[in-house]
Amino acid sequence: MPRPGAVIEVDRNTPPVLFHFGEGIRLEKLPLGARIVYPPDPLEPIAHPERAIKRALAKPLEDDPLKSLLRRGMKLTIAFDDLSLPLPPMAAPDVRQLVMEEVIDMAAEAGIDDLHIIAALGLHRRMTEDELRHIVGERIFSTFHPDRLYQHDGEDPENNVYVGKTAKGEEVTLNRRAAESDLVIYVNLTLVPMDGGHKSMSTGLASFRSIRVHHNAKTLLASRSYMNPPDSALHHSCIRQGQLIEDTVRVFHIETTVNNHAFPAIANFMQKRETDWTAQDQAMFLATKQMTDLAPPAFKRNVFHAMRAPYGMTAVHAGQVDAVHDKTLEAVHKQINVPVEGQTDIVTMGVPYLGPYNVNAPMNPILVVCMGLGYLFNFYRNKPVLRKGGVLILTHPCRYEFDAVQHPSYIDYYDEVLADTTDPIAIEEKYEVRFAEDPWFRQLYRKSHAYHGIHPHYAWIWAAHAMEHAGDIIFVGADRDVVHRLGFKCATTLEDAFEMAEQTVGRYPSITHLRMPPIMLADVE
Amino acid sequence: MIADALRGKTILVTGSTGFLGKSIVEKCLRSIPDIARINLAIRSSARRPAGERLQREVLSSPAFKRLKDQLGEDGFAKLAREKLAVVEIDLGRDGLGLSEQGREQLRACDVVIHSAAAVEFDNPADLSAQTNLLGAARLVEALKASGVRPHLVHISTAYVGGMLRGQVREESPLDPGLNWRHEAEVLTRLRGPVEEESRRPEVLNRLNREARSRMGPAGTPAVARATERLRDRWVKDRLIERGRVHANAMGFSDIYSFTKAMAEHAVVELHGDIPLSIVRPSIIESALDEPSPGWLEGFRMAEPLILAFGRGVLQDFSGLPDSLLDIIPADFVVNTVLAVAANRPPDAEPRVYHAASGTRNPLRFRRIVNEADHYFTEHPLRDRYGQAIGTPSWTYPTRQEMATRARTALRFVEAAQWVVERLPLGASVAQMSDDLTAERDRLDRGLNLIQLYGVYTEVDCIFDTRHVMELWDQVPAAERKTFPFDPALYDWTHYFQDVHFPTVVRMSRAETVARKGKQPSGSTSPKAETSSVRAAIERRSGRNDVLAVFDVDGTLVETNVVEYFLWMRLRAQPLEDWPAFMADMLRKGPRWLFLERRSRAEFQRSFYREYDRLDPEVMKRLGREALDAVTLRRIYPEGMRRIREHKRAGHRVLLLTGALDVVVEPLAELLDVEVDCAHLLLKDGRLTGDLQSPPPAGEARSALLEEYAERNGVALAESFAYADSLSDLPMLEMVGTPVAVNPDARLSQVAGQRGWRVERWRMAPGNWRLPMPDPRSPEYLEAVRR
Repeated sequence: MPRPGAVIEVDRNTPPVLFHFGEGIRLEKLPLGARIVYPPDPLEPIAHPERAIKRALAKPLEDDPLKSLLRRGMKLTIAFDDLSLPLPPMAAPDVRQLVMEEVIDMAAEAGIDDLHIIAALGLHRRMTEDELRHIVGERIFSTFHPDRLYQHDGEDPENNVYVGKTAKGEEVTLNRRAAESDLVIYVNLTLVPMDGGHKSMSTGLASFRSIRVHHNAKTLLASRSYMNPPDSALHHSCIRQGQLIEDTVRVFHIETTVNNHAFPAIANFMQKRETDWTAQDQAMFLATKQMTDLAPPAFKRNVFHAMRAPYGMTAVHAGQVDAVHDKTLEAVHKQINVPVEGQTDIVTMGVPYLGPYNVNAPMNPILVVCMGLGYLFNFYRNKPVLRKGGVLILTHPCRYEFDAVQHPSYIDYYDEVLADTTDPIAIEEKYEVRFAEDPWFRQLYRKSHAYHGIHPHYAWIWAAHAMEHAGDIIFVGADRDVVHRLGFKCATTLEDAFEMAEQTVGRYPSITHLRMPPIMLADVE
Repeated sequence: MIADALRGKTILVTGSTGFLGKSIVEKCLRSIPDIARINLAIRSSARRPAGERLQREVLSSPAFKRLKDQLGEDGFAKLAREKLAVVEIDLGRDGLGLSEQGREQLRACDVVIHSAAAVEFDNPADLSAQTNLLGAARLVEALKASGVRPHLVHISTAYVGGMLRGQVREESPLDPGLNWRHEAEVLTRLRGPVEEESRRPEVLNRLNREARSRMGPAGTPAVARATERLRDRWVKDRLIERGRVHANAMGFSDIYSFTKAMAEHAVVELHGDIPLSIVRPSIIESALDEPSPGWLEGFRMAEPLILAFGRGVLQDFSGLPDSLLDIIPADFVVNTVLAVAANRPPDAEPRVYHAASGTRNPLRFRRIVNEADHYFTEHPLRDRYGQAIGTPSWTYPTRQEMATRARTALRFVEAAQWVVERLPLGASVAQMSDDLTAERDRLDRGLNLIQLYGVYTEVDCIFDTRHVMELWDQVPAAERKTFPFDPALYDWTHYFQDVHFPTVVRMSRAETVARKGKQPSGSTSPKAETSSVRAAIERRSGRNDVLAVFDVDGTLVETNVVEYFLWMRLRAQPLEDWPAFMADMLRKGPRWLFLERRSRAEFQRSFYREYDRLDPEVMKRLGREALDAVTLRRIYPEGMRRIREHKRAGHRVLLLTGALDVVVEPLAELLDVEVDCAHLLLKDGRLTGDLQSPPPAGEARSALLEEYAERNGVALAESFAYADSLSDLPMLEMVGTPVAVNPDARLSQVAGQRGWRVERWRMAPGNWRLPMPDPRSPEYLEAVRR
């Protein structure tokens, strides 16, 4: 049986612990008495995913079997999550491919001709053909691309329709094809509790107009955390929007979850707890460490980004959105929850090379903040592992580098906006509209492979809660100029970072190291 | 004695727009209130009539500030109206170009003070001869012709004796047996033959080669202009050299003293019964007291040396430390001249007076250096960080040693620059090249100083002042205070420390304070980046007749036409064909580099032949793919920002490039701007390697731009142009706000000379890739299969 997550105390015999460090790794000795939180081991995947999918479609939750919903001559649209999930990208075949192939087969049996497949990427970048092919598989790609398999465009004035306003006055827009379909089947992959449910449709097929309603500093500061939907203003808003969409168009949800087997065999030492490392893991660690210390960044990036995760499917549910999503979250929690007792003065985390928005690209400084202070910090329920006013210590090289194709607006955001202010609310007032409506970024989002002009701001406000909560934020081993631009502190070594933290938390602080990824959700009592 | 003698007299001053002339006029106005009239001989220049020159070049001078303070502006204007009159006299013409009225004025004169001269040591030979020698001769002839016999005070220089040793007496100058008429004739006619020589094929070809190597890619008109500039410069240099060598051979230090010596011979020979006095000042420096302490105009002899010392530019200097350097304050010269003017010689025998300090108050070269050392230690000049510059300690090597050292260094620098400019590295060597240019300028300046002034620090002579002292003895005690001219009256330390050095430093506008206000605060808070271009955009915002024209390759995108071609061709052929293709490209590379250096247009023509027989549709598709794979990755974010700023300001934006339509049009489409680029001719549905119209490079670009501006009503003087290479020079020259973006070495030099804005734009870090598609990607494999 896979072990659950664990909280261990550092004693004399505890081996040094792994810190992710961008496209590199560090092994750090933590002070005696500090605690290390380990994620649960990967759950056993479902042995026959295809069968499970068939079963789910035949017996949906609170909905009719899919077969009965399909009829000849209907307008059918399949929407699916983009490549920001899962991380790292899943080794082929992707679960979404398996689900979609099943659905398409059923549609073909029902004699449906008018079938479109849309990548629900919201304001994310358009995927390249290779990336698209990887998610949907060769069969679907060659059959449907490019006429009937394409990517949502939130800035296309023709193909986004205004649906209406929620009870709280939130505007909702939707992809025209989806809005005009007789049935939309949403194929989802849920890795963390933030994903899925109503959020799939209300962000994936939406435009800036409806996304800005909940993607703003105020909402995010009221989401404690957005990894726990019941406590998340972001999700409350998405649910209201989603309900309005379900009133407009018939949506059939298929949600899948995978275990947390994020690293392939070659990087097994990243997956395992240090106490479990074998001689082989030790050797792999040493080799990797040597390589990452010496190799130029571009080479390291190629190596790391070539990694595919051997994820296994742990659940698949279909039917009515709320019923499905409850089951999905249950499955996710089973995989990633770790009970943690009490908060500590200091929390340390290693920021890995990859986040949702830099697949096949370097993780630029803004995305480092988004990943470290955004996603990693928010992996909690109840309250953060870090006490209010405590010190957050992150390890990442934080180099000044940007992917010019994927992140053009990030460059301007860094050069112009962050040079001006780092306060999310002040930025929003001054720059939100300018970046969102910049014609050049709009063009790049629509025609090239760039994130939407406003996206760097979303990445930045994703960290707003952490910035407000932490008394001090220290980056270890980072580029000093960059960290200062971001508004944080920089330390050369972890020891120095502890030394610097002393001012805030005193001589003998309590320390927690969250050993992520693989991801986990700290259930703090 | 002086004021009395000049009471009720009318005097004529030539050269009154010059330093000494102005000082004389001022002193007469202020200290000889009963003088009847001062006629100022002024020539109408091409731009201004003589009357206006009086106002703008004479009366507005700070020399008259003291008088204006005493009398008030109105009182001064009244005095000037009463006492001053302009006589239109052109010393360059026989008969002085006098009008009838001018002749009248000339006839009314009792004293004529001739102080007009071309005083620079390195003037061209013909100019010196015209002004100094013939000017004086013409003046005497005109006086004779007018029938009156005023007292002529001819101002010469103490160095007319040439480089002598021992005592120089107040008598006729060195005569190496020359006929001044012949000298004048030869020297003034030199320009013709030299001009002719400059057009000889071997000279002109060499100049043309040099111009082409500097400006080649900028196009034919630019090269032609550069050649003409070089030729003009060559002619001037030859004339200067001719003058210097001739003067040296005749025993003079420079063309100035040589022509002045000849002028003395001419005046003495021609003056007939006109009473003649000759005043020979030594080196005139700033005034001791009058009209104000330190009154000086223009940089004269010792100033550049003093500054070079203070700035540490001259780490050493040649000369004899114990030699006498004869310096005399300007007001002492003025007073000497007036005393001489007041003492009309009783007979036709010319009288010579040395206005020099050597006998009465000797000043040795070492003393000046020590004074300078003292002064600059107390009041150091500052470098650009505000640090005090230390003073050098000179060892006084010989002039030849110094010159050889400087020349050797100069040659090294020139050689290094030659190499750097030819490296095919573009913008990355621009900084190095600029540094070399600055170093070359510094060495050039030093060498020039050594050549021009070195002689004076080796003079081993002393100027006899017996005649001047006889005059001084006649001056009554009451007048000695008003017209002091005995050099023994002042102390050199006072003169240098309190008067002259402060003046020189003030005039040079050198930085002398550590920093404006206070020391640096040490604040490291980020400072807002400022760009004067952005301010200009702001100022012209909302105007749709403003255009911003951008070059593309190297200005907006870090790539060039070759890289696009490579990418597109590699993308379209199977992996096994790559090596052969690359080998072929490598073989052709050097030739392209060579052509590119000569002319961008030739290079493009030659390179585009590679497109022969390719399928236009395929290339178009590949061009679109190259947008994501090459262009957007290598784009300069600052460039994109700038384009958007222009668009936000309502300006038109045009991409003007020699790159092919297939690669540029997708970018322009994305940017939503206009584009003018190269198109290839089609034949039987295939591309040919031939261009539809000449490549838009060099002057063709400016023509295109002009036409565009006319068609669209664009105000070019208010417009912006951004470019990176010398071949864009004609385009940059056409607009009001040219911006050199990442300029190559040669454009960087031009931009520096013309004060253009230079910006350095960078690719977003971490995006550099070889311009080749990923051969492992399924996309590539499929594309090849297709």
